[in-house]
Amino acid sequence: MPISDPVAARERPIATPAAASRPRSDGVLARIVRHRADYLYVLPALGVMALVIAYPVYFTVYLSFFNTPPNLALEDKIFVGFANYGRIVAAESFHEATWNTLVWTLFSTLFAFVLGFGAAITLDRELFGRSVLRGTLLVPYVISAVAASYVWRWLYHSDFGVIGAMLVALGLTDGPINILDNRSRVMPALIVVNVWKEFPFAMIMMLAGLQTVPDQLLRAARVDGASAWQRFWHVTMPHLRGVSLVTVLLLLVTNLNSFTIPWIMTGGGPAGASEIWITQVYQLAFGRIRFGLASAYSVILFGVMMAMGWFYVRALTRGEDRSPG
Amino acid sequence: MSAATPAAARAGRRRIEPWTLAGAALLVLLLFFSVLPMAWMLATSIKTQFAAVQYPPEWIPRNPTLEQYYRLLSPRNEVGREFLGYLLNSLWVSTATTVLGVLVGVPAAYAFSRFRFPGRNLLFYAVLVRNMFPAVVFLMPLFIMMRWMGLVNTHASLILTYLTFGLPLSIWLLKGFYDNIPVQLEQAARIDGASRFKAFLLVVMPLSAPGIIATAIYSFITAWNEYVYALTFLNEKSRLTLPVGLQRFFTEFASNWPGLMAASFIMSVPVVVLFLVLQKWFVKALTEGAVKS
Repeated sequence: MPISDPVAARERPIATPAAASRPRSDGVLARIVRHRADYLYVLPALGVMALVIAYPVYFTVYLSFFNTPPNLALEDKIFVGFANYGRIVAAESFHEATWNTLVWTLFSTLFAFVLGFGAAITLDRELFGRSVLRGTLLVPYVISAVAASYVWRWLYHSDFGVIGAMLVALGLTDGPINILDNRSRVMPALIVVNVWKEFPFAMIMMLAGLQTVPDQLLRAARVDGASAWQRFWHVTMPHLRGVSLVTVLLLLVTNLNSFTIPWIMTGGGPAGASEIWITQVYQLAFGRIRFGLASAYSVILFGVMMAMGWFYVRALTRGEDRSPG
Repeated sequence: MSAATPAAARAGRRRIEPWTLAGAALLVLLLFFSVLPMAWMLATSIKTQFAAVQYPPEWIPRNPTLEQYYRLLSPRNEVGREFLGYLLNSLWVSTATTVLGVLVGVPAAYAFSRFRFPGRNLLFYAVLVRNMFPAVVFLMPLFIMMRWMGLVNTHASLILTYLTFGLPLSIWLLKGFYDNIPVQLEQAARIDGASRFKAFLLVVMPLSAPGIIATAIYSFITAWNEYVYALTFLNEKSRLTLPVGLQRFFTEFASNWPGLMAASFIMSVPVVVLFLVLQKWFVKALTEGAVKS
């Protein structure tokens, strides 16, 4: 922390002098009244969000205690207490999905971060065609996950897939290879697609972070005879702690929430081998129309996400002003 | 760069570190990894259906044809009409989301950046925490709400949803840009007799234009690519947006890989072009908040 503080201080927005000079002793109500006009700016945004965020959260928790009929006539729902939670936690398929979710999230995050960080370090220098390179590497990140999933299904195709053909050319297999329909190959194959799609995000985050490392420090270290590794480890890395933390957290959250790639590529198959939490909730809710059960599942996920959200907010707001209002 | 010319390489031999070589190797590998799938999409899209299923594959199409593109983009046939319909739906939904998002997000971001009102931090954390929730978790209550409001199968349901879920990030990005505009500029305008709103409109708005554009592009790309809500809220064929439409194509023409790749390519073009033209701002928008902390 002490090492990154000067950077944070330099980058911190200028506080409004008006706010700084205001007496902080008067009551909350008086301050609310005095600032009533300020709320007008935020109100439209908050209004929409209350409608589409607060209500759904409440409703999900409420629904999780009921059995809902498959025709979604909600007036016929039956109160079942915590039975839905019990059924989710006890289900074999939930355990398999939890394991898959862990594997998916951790490995996707790890590889995306390492590759992205590596690319960022390589690109963080005078380099011919640097912005073209950066742009090219970023394209997978901006294209649609649906399009990307179909492209990769085609690449993995068991009969005409290019990846199979390349493996044959390299002498790794004898003939066409089944990738997505194989229980032990499907998760690694999906993780490759996911990493392909999101390592560019880690790359630009880390690239932006690298640009905050003062050049003078690196040059001074070089003059003092520090090796490339020492310069990286003792000068660059301490500056990147904050941005690394935020990047890893964002990747973790995104991966926990991923749906499109597994859904389009395998739909959780073969036989649940690539089922993760989110695809399972979707299948429960809109495949089998079990809203009550799926709501209980969602609430469990809420808990996990809230815990992560707490870390995220803490990482993101570190060093910002913490005045109570 | 020192390794670029032989002379320089000789002169500075000591300075080529193994790290540089490792970096170059990594970059080449990553480029290959990034580009190959897209190159293959393009190559397949200009093959005939017969040529696409040759084994071993034709790396470079021997008889390239734009047949699939004609088919998808011509309103004269069934497939083309369907595809163009999806395209227009996507365009409408993404544009409406983007415009509304800017109109609602700009004032909110400005307030979060400038004013110190009670509850400001709490509200802002709420904005951030929202990003933690998986879209799928919101699907059921929103689906029921949309059904109740009679919005299922309308584009309004998507615009409303995208708007809401886009807002927290838009506000966060825009706030970053406002934080970087010196407050003294507004104060000068105020001293010259402008009202707070006028100072905002005439001084802050023009300065934050790049930020607004970056944020708008980001919302557009997100809305254009969104899949889960579109999959759930729409089921009438004529209303589908491209991602869901693409999936429908896949089920209808399962073995027509060139057609599917051409459709994927057309779908990717607008976002990739927007992104490449405005790469600098886009990158700035994405990294703005995070680097600061």
